[in-house]
Amino acid sequence: MNDSQPNPLRRRILGASAGATGLATAGLPLQAALAQSGEIVFGAAPPITGVFAFAGVGLHQGLGDYCEWRNTKGGIAGRKIKYIGEDSGYKMDQAMSVFKKIMGAHKPPVFYGDSTAWAKASAKEVSQMGSVLTCSPSFSSDLADPKNVPYYFMAGPTYAAMCEILLQYIARTSKGANKPAVAFVYSDTEFGRDPISAAKATAQKLGIPVVMEIVTKPGAVDVSSEVAKLRRAKPDFVIFHGYVLAPIPEFIKQMREAGMNTTPMGTIWSMDKTTVDAMGAAAEGWMGVLPYRYSYDTKDAPTMQIIKDYTAKARPQMQYVPTFYTNGWLVGMIFSEVIERCLKANKALTGPNMKAALESINDWDTGGLTGLLVSLKGHQIGSGRIYAYDAKSKLMEPASGWIKTA
Amino acid sequence: MRIRDFHQSYAHDEAIWQTPTSRLWLAALFIALLLFPFTANGYIVGLACVLGIHVIGAAGLNIMTGYTGLISLGHAAFMGVGCYTAAWLGQRGLPFYLTIPLGGLVAALLGLVVGIPSLRIKGLYLAVATLAMQFILVFVFREWESVTGGVRGVNVPNAELFGIELNNDFRMYYVIAFFAVLLLVGARNLFRTRIGRAFIAIRDKDISAEVLGINLFRYKLLAFAIGSFYAGVAGALLGYFYRAMTPEYFTLTLSIFYLAAVIVGGLGTMLGTILGAVFMTLVPELLRAVVSFIAQWAPRAVEVLSPMQEIVFGLLIVGFLVFEPHGLVEIWRRVRRFFHLWPFRA
Repeated sequence: MNDSQPNPLRRRILGASAGATGLATAGLPLQAALAQSGEIVFGAAPPITGVFAFAGVGLHQGLGDYCEWRNTKGGIAGRKIKYIGEDSGYKMDQAMSVFKKIMGAHKPPVFYGDSTAWAKASAKEVSQMGSVLTCSPSFSSDLADPKNVPYYFMAGPTYAAMCEILLQYIARTSKGANKPAVAFVYSDTEFGRDPISAAKATAQKLGIPVVMEIVTKPGAVDVSSEVAKLRRAKPDFVIFHGYVLAPIPEFIKQMREAGMNTTPMGTIWSMDKTTVDAMGAAAEGWMGVLPYRYSYDTKDAPTMQIIKDYTAKARPQMQYVPTFYTNGWLVGMIFSEVIERCLKANKALTGPNMKAALESINDWDTGGLTGLLVSLKGHQIGSGRIYAYDAKSKLMEPASGWIKTA
Repeated sequence: MRIRDFHQSYAHDEAIWQTPTSRLWLAALFIALLLFPFTANGYIVGLACVLGIHVIGAAGLNIMTGYTGLISLGHAAFMGVGCYTAAWLGQRGLPFYLTIPLGGLVAALLGLVVGIPSLRIKGLYLAVATLAMQFILVFVFREWESVTGGVRGVNVPNAELFGIELNNDFRMYYVIAFFAVLLLVGARNLFRTRIGRAFIAIRDKDISAEVLGINLFRYKLLAFAIGSFYAGVAGALLGYFYRAMTPEYFTLTLSIFYLAAVIVGGLGTMLGTILGAVFMTLVPELLRAVVSFIAQWAPRAVEVLSPMQEIVFGLLIVGFLVFEPHGLVEIWRRVRRFFHLWPFRA
């Protein structure tokens, strides 16, 4: 071939290269524009399987359904939400892997994890990225720390704050000069131990004597020796924490058999109707703290009515909307509120901007999912209500007004 | 076809990689390992880091269980020892290249203690003894708050080399790959020495081994120490990788994970260790990738298909054990044998 002759193959390659370069160059502003105007991704690693699946499925459904519902209302500032959730199996390795995968592929501005372990393991990476706001079902007291864990918040009070609400209720309802005595029964896990020292300090401040502290295995079966200790200590209230169900029903059953007139109380994960139903006869007299309304309580709660209407249409098989679902929905609301505030202020969705937007949420109306107006300055919702089991209706009914933590 | 494999000396006979082809493949693998983080996205690099740590951990268990026949159900706890040691020393300013081996050494010392019952008991009885150590050590992790941070866990400082913080997966990859290659080559060589052969002799029949002059006390303890050292190094690397750790990570489930990895991969082979770790780490990821692929068109499928993943994964493990009881390594050997004679005889 003559060198002076144009080579058609070379020309085609050069042409194709030039075209590709042109497209790529033209595509850059397009990509940037899409980042500012395209879909907003909500990433999640909910525990759909594993030991936390009882709640994980509801959390996943609540967050996913909120995104779908919000899209029917035009999304966030006109931008649609894309929810991408992959099962974490309630395993830290898997949750981190899902986190890295979704962050790498979609760069979501918000991410919902699965546990305290995940939140702690990802905290440094999240701080380093400075581009994602995170949340998870963990209410660990260590995580409501805007200084050390700046890009994490929780859609409820910390476990310590939940115990504070219980103790405030006990202090307020007590009659006479002597305050009722309290015992703490908790599991020998990070979850179980989390609020205990803070709760003991709160009890001391409120003048409530702590007469017994019992640590058990998370799913302990034989609790007879522990019940014997409680019987000797004679507490008026026993606060159970760090469990979902077992060994709470066994404790209550044996305490009744021992003739104790003690009120058993629990925190968020032991408070869903499905869990209380599973307690059977032991549920009678059961009380506890929940930061949300139950889904059957739609009075003065327009958002709860929206949830009920939406699930009736989208999930006709769902007879009861669990509190886990409410948590997922509320997390979606907070994520959207934060993003909307940033977009309205014409600020990029960076970690510091979203943190500032989160902390600017004050006196915010959740439409009745929470009883009081919400402030997220401290990266937690510091309020809740005491509910008690009503044997007639077989439902958890309000036993107090909404209580705010200090 | 295998060619140029003509042994003319004892040195050649003893070489690990005997043919030019195997050396070429090894060089290619080494280059691929070096270039890998440049070609893969962050998620894949992160996955490779976890895989590297699991390979080291599984190699330790294979030395104990696969090569020496000493069943251990306390492997996760030794990883915890390595992790907490590295974290504690790191918080006091020691560099990672010292804390990681020291994490391994402390785990090895504890391994010596745990190995003592192996002189009197074996099989299921030894498994129960190591299981007890698993629970004791996890209890210590939870209770010894001044060192381990208790149930709240511990923060591991960033690894740093020449003023560069190894604070992302890309950088940590090279640290993990370095230790993985070093320890795997070390293990491969170990079984060409008297020590390694003594381990194998003990596994095959400990009484016969003793008759042949092998000091059971010394070698059984050594096997525990070396296996625990590997676990300790893996734990220390895990700490530097996640930069925070709680005792709830080092549970019995993790010990079972490693036992499953060495059994599925192939007991008593280093290649089996790698294949087992790859299987146990990557197959769940692949199954999840399939679920998320389907979820693009049917978002609610995640709720139904996610629990199915666990069932499929379990069935795959059972399937491999039933159809290939010698582990994945045997499949690999069959493929190799085929190509040794190919194309003359398939």
